[in-house]
Amino acid sequence: MLEMERVNTSYGTVPMLREVSLRVGEGEMVCLLGPNGAGKSTTFNAICGLLRAESGQVRIAGRDVRDCGTEALASLGVGFVPEGRRLFPTLTVRENLRLAFDAARAPALEFAAQIEKMAQLFPRIRERLDQRSGTMSGGEQAMVALARALIGEPRLVVMDEPSLGLSPKLIDEYFQIVARIRDQGKAVLLIEQNAETALSIAERGYLLVRGRIALQGASADLLRDDTIRHMYL
Amino acid sequence: MDALVAQHLLNWLVLGSIYTLVALGFSLLFGVLDVIHFSHGDVSMAAPFVALAVIQAVTVTLVPDGGTATLILAILAATLVVGLFGVLVDWLVIRRFRAAPAMMALVATVALGTVVRELIRTLYPQGSNPKPFPALTTEVLRLGEVAVPVFSLIVIFVSVATVAALFWLLNRTPVGLRIRAVAEDRAVARLMAIRPDRIFAITFFIASAIGAVGAVFFASHAGVVRFDFGVQLGLIGFSAAVIGGLGSMQGAILGSLLIAGVDTTVQMTIPDGASYRLVFIFALVILVLVLKPSGVLGKPVFEKV
Repeated sequence: MLEMERVNTSYGTVPMLREVSLRVGEGEMVCLLGPNGAGKSTTFNAICGLLRAESGQVRIAGRDVRDCGTEALASLGVGFVPEGRRLFPTLTVRENLRLAFDAARAPALEFAAQIEKMAQLFPRIRERLDQRSGTMSGGEQAMVALARALIGEPRLVVMDEPSLGLSPKLIDEYFQIVARIRDQGKAVLLIEQNAETALSIAERGYLLVRGRIALQGASADLLRDDTIRHMYL
Repeated sequence: MDALVAQHLLNWLVLGSIYTLVALGFSLLFGVLDVIHFSHGDVSMAAPFVALAVIQAVTVTLVPDGGTATLILAILAATLVVGLFGVLVDWLVIRRFRAAPAMMALVATVALGTVVRELIRTLYPQGSNPKPFPALTTEVLRLGEVAVPVFSLIVIFVSVATVAALFWLLNRTPVGLRIRAVAEDRAVARLMAIRPDRIFAITFFIASAIGAVGAVFFASHAGVVRFDFGVQLGLIGFSAAVIGGLGSMQGAILGSLLIAGVDTTVQMTIPDGASYRLVFIFALVILVLVLKPSGVLGKPVFEKV
């Protein structure tokens, strides 16, 4: 579903990602771990085409992201949860969801039905539909951001540190929902600092250190790995 | 009510309407593109010249005395042409400065304003001279002692309708939703399949077309138009948008009414007030900026989480 192949990017003259390759198969949940400044958000930006890879390839559903452009990704079946949620703060919850729904260009879906589905997944959204999203609490915004990624029934969801800034209780709740998304057969790339939680729900993981993939493997193996234990656990 | 006061109120509303039509463009463009489009006044002021050219063309080729119908056709054509001209300005110039520091775009648009003015002067026959601009109508309604020019009513009505249409477009239509989304977060808007460049073009069209209507009213109100009228109209419109709170549509309206209020009050109460009006208008601008730098309705920028 998602393939990055030997991607290099730099910020000015400073190299950011070096030869990063990763893949997320159909219906597979994969996490990308790494300390602050390792290049996790750069990876997110390279995947969604907001940052141009200097060399290498990013393919989503078989299409080169550089050719089809950021604007086409939603209709290829990708939902995004950007770092810091990035809801449109003065737009209402419904308007935020509407934009994502329209972006998916799925004629078989109906907006009202999808809203209902999201409200079942995130009960607190229901009575907040006409509230400006910027006036909601961080936890509620996190749920809306996830609903925004899901409302167009994507086949792949890419999340950039979605749990950042949430209380431990909310993080648990959040990842229970993420696990349900996985169980529905959607492919998920979870970019996270919180290694233990991420590895507990993902099948495989990659560790990004200073712009390079330093480690990769099945979650169970990574959880036992000394580097990871040393860095995180 | 005192007839003089009524006249004064009417003048205030007419000027306030004209300034609003220009100020809205400044605020809209700043809100959506984060750019201060300093040539907005000059671009808008191209409209009366386009209208004059259309009138000329129609009277020479089709009907010698077209009258009001020709004038209305000319104004509609000028609105459309100037709207497209705004799109061209964005595509040719402002687009180059999307990622540049705000100061660069500002200087570029100041320069662009001069280019537009000088182009009008050189391309329009005898462009240095003031051109008489026809009044939409010279009819006057008498309400007791108050003389109400029908033109004033038209200006007020069209402005209110335009503002209502703009608010409806921004808040009730899919394209308005996309304009607001791009105004808030271009990158995430792209993830929502919105092409910011298209939204910018649409925004430029709307802002320039509305400004064109304002400029035509300005010329018709003055009875005359000159290539450099856009400087003053632009400065006033920009100031109105700033003291109202740049980026806020309501602010642009409020700022315009404030400035028009000072304008008409000075002209009415101070001997030879017409000569001093700009002094008072821009003193008000300074005063508001000292007291409330973000403008009357300006909000602090939303903090990103």
